[in-house]
Amino acid sequence: MNGRTYEEVAVGEELPALPIPLTRTLIVATAIASRDYQDVHHDPGLAAERGSKDIFMNILTTNGLVDRYVTEWAGPAAVVTAIKIRLGVPNYPGDTMTLTGTVTAKHDDDRRVEIAVRGENGLGAHVTGTVAVRLPAKDVR
Amino acid sequence: MSGFSGAAAIAGIGATEFSKDSGRSELRLACEAVLAAVADAGLKPSDVDGMVTFTADTNAEIHVARATGMGDLTFFSRIPHGGGAACGTVQQAALAVASGVAGVVVCYRAFNERSGVRYGLGQADSPAETGADGAAYAWLTPFGLTTPAQWVAMFARRYMHEYGATSEDFGRVAVVDRKHAAANPAAWFYRRPITLEDHQASRWIAEPLHLLDCCQETDGGQALVVVSAERARDLPHPPAVILGAAQGSGDDQHMMTSYYRPRITGIPEMGLVGRQLYAQSGLGPADMDAAILYDHFTPLVLPQLEELGFCAPGEAKDFIAEGSLELGGRLPFNTHGGQLGEAYLHGMNGIAEAVRLVRGTSVNQPEGVRNVIVTAGTGVPTSGLVLGTDR
Amino acid sequence: MTAYEEFAGREILPPQEGPDPVNVPMIRHWAEAMGDRNPIYLDEDAARATGRPGIVAPASMIQAWTMRGYAPAPDGGGTGGASGAEELYALLEKDGYTSVVATDSEFEFHRELVVGDRVSVREVVESISPEKSTALGAGRFVTTVRTYTDQDGEVVAVQRWRLLWFRPKASPSSEQAPKASRPRPVINRDNAFWFEAARAHRLVIQRCAGCGTLRHPPGPCCPHCGSFEWDAAEASGRGQVYSFVVNHHPRHPAFDYPLIVAVVELEEGTRLVTDLVGVAPGEVEIGMPVVLDWLDADPGLSLPVFRPQPGVAS
Repeated sequence: MNGRTYEEVAVGEELPALPIPLTRTLIVATAIASRDYQDVHHDPGLAAERGSKDIFMNILTTNGLVDRYVTEWAGPAAVVTAIKIRLGVPNYPGDTMTLTGTVTAKHDDDRRVEIAVRGENGLGAHVTGTVAVRLPAKDVR
Repeated sequence: MSGFSGAAAIAGIGATEFSKDSGRSELRLACEAVLAAVADAGLKPSDVDGMVTFTADTNAEIHVARATGMGDLTFFSRIPHGGGAACGTVQQAALAVASGVAGVVVCYRAFNERSGVRYGLGQADSPAETGADGAAYAWLTPFGLTTPAQWVAMFARRYMHEYGATSEDFGRVAVVDRKHAAANPAAWFYRRPITLEDHQASRWIAEPLHLLDCCQETDGGQALVVVSAERARDLPHPPAVILGAAQGSGDDQHMMTSYYRPRITGIPEMGLVGRQLYAQSGLGPADMDAAILYDHFTPLVLPQLEELGFCAPGEAKDFIAEGSLELGGRLPFNTHGGQLGEAYLHGMNGIAEAVRLVRGTSVNQPEGVRNVIVTAGTGVPTSGLVLGTDR
Repeated sequence: MTAYEEFAGREILPPQEGPDPVNVPMIRHWAEAMGDRNPIYLDEDAARATGRPGIVAPASMIQAWTMRGYAPAPDGGGTGGASGAEELYALLEKDGYTSVVATDSEFEFHRELVVGDRVSVREVVESISPEKSTALGAGRFVTTVRTYTDQDGEVVAVQRWRLLWFRPKASPSSEQAPKASRPRPVINRDNAFWFEAARAHRLVIQRCAGCGTLRHPPGPCCPHCGSFEWDAAEASGRGQVYSFVVNHHPRHPAFDYPLIVAVVELEEGTRLVTDLVGVAPGEVEIGMPVVLDWLDADPGLSLPVFRPQPGVAS
């Protein structure tokens, strides 16, 4: 199984960019999978009434995609210890969000790595934040 | 007693049904109510020689008189200022009868206030006229203060602030009204009482006013027949003798928006009316066996009780909470259900109820009623009556 | 202390257990929708190969275990009486903050969730911001701390959670339609001077030239001395709220609701009806110091409005 050990990772390492097409189906399916039935995530008419130009992705999904992005890079042995995000512009259907990340810190005592993540869509930054994962040591692999 | 006190009486009352859509013209409603009142008095339309209505009424005297076959009229007059006119029409009639310029005067008011022009929608887009009344709205409507509920809410908020009254204190007025209406088959809210919880849960109209602080909007007509007390004694019903009838406009008076007085927690024009009523009748608050108080919006019932001497300023909330307005209480109130419960007929249906109380025929008749005080619209130049049994 | 400040430190959601234990079908839906192919979420062997006891749930999924879902809670969701959350939402709604978006989520995970875990959450308010203007509309940031625990009461994750409750700006479709004009004041020879001054952003008060008494609303002659001579004094623009209303119905298309209309008493002593801006309905109090601002409502119509005096706590 592919994955990274703590020792392999260096501060400053960039994660490969991950473009995510924001289909209407993705926005609705992820909202429902996260048990979020708020109308602004599936009903365009009601979303417009609430001042939004269309439905938009819910924050639970942004958490899930950031989680996925970092753990795909880190590998199945990685244990996520923190996800801290701030939302900016909404993820509307028809756009693409591209996730990028950079390793910003390493903590030897618990083999914890911090990755700054950013997701940009056509309107600007949808998400900025950091994810922390604990990585296996060389010998565990 | 002084002046014209005791000289005239209400001998007949008549009304249409109270509805939300009468399906007929305002003139027809006026004619139906007038004919019913004349018949109730045991008289014929041709006996009528005087008419009084509101300047707000769309049914000019000549149209009603012509349609109902009244023939010659020797007295016709109108009272301004919306619901403040109600008891004033009876004062006009009593003065006319007492002075001999007319013998049988009909007071009437009829409108399609629900299905036609609704006052509750406000003055925001009413046609502009450049007289003083139109210009007075310039200080209100551009800021979005356009409806009677909003105008009253401004007084209510200050009253709450100064006296510690609460929305529940206003709600108790609505609960009593609706309780009395629930027993009145003529009331729109017949058999539909409310609780204080209903009141509190009803939606905001203009904070601090909930929906259930606001009177109905009604289609209908109401008429009253005034004759001399002497003549009334020969007619079918016991006379409701006009012991007092007064108008009042206070210092620095505006229409519903007298916000510029040193204090705005009272209703000085109602105090002025009350003092005249007591002086004319030789009676006082303790002599009043029931009260029909104008209740377009609940908050202004409280300062009325204070201005009319039933309790001290700021104490109406306690007076009400003690159950004083109930049928068995100190001052049975709005036994027809008021304008919140029976109908909004610009106060005229309340005068008819006072007549029934004097006759002893109210659906909620308290024991031993001799004197009833009635008030007209609050926040505006207003009027009041004391009606009593023949003595 | 405002009603909002009183929420700080309050538990608005007592511990609530999620409706389902951590389970594979729900994880599968999540992983499919997210496009997450990490095998530890669905494959027992792959999970064990990483040293885990078995399948684990995605860390980011923790909130989903406690979401209320589509159906309202069968018993109304409460244990009798409104929860603090309902009270807070009612307060926000009353002040016109009818829309909500999440803006921040900060998770610290204490352990991974395994199949069969039962997750509960409780929520405590950390702070509620004063009204801020945002791209979405004026609103308040409500920051809470959500603590997730397992069936043994052990903390499995802590989340700082921030929502923006806001008054939506007009939707794009209604932005295209011109806003209705405010009701036009009737201007006549007695009041024209006041509205002319307002167009120049000057708040004036009619002053009797005979006795110097200020009067508003203006009139042709002085009720105190009878003089028909007058001029106009310029107001300082400082005053206090004498009374106020919050209008909900009926709605006029020129205004945003709830609309706060106040009687403001100027420091010169006269009062006027005006609008209050820059303040939520729940924050207005009688006696609150306010200062003049100008609203250019429509072409040819400027109106004095008032906002809370900066730096004065209500």
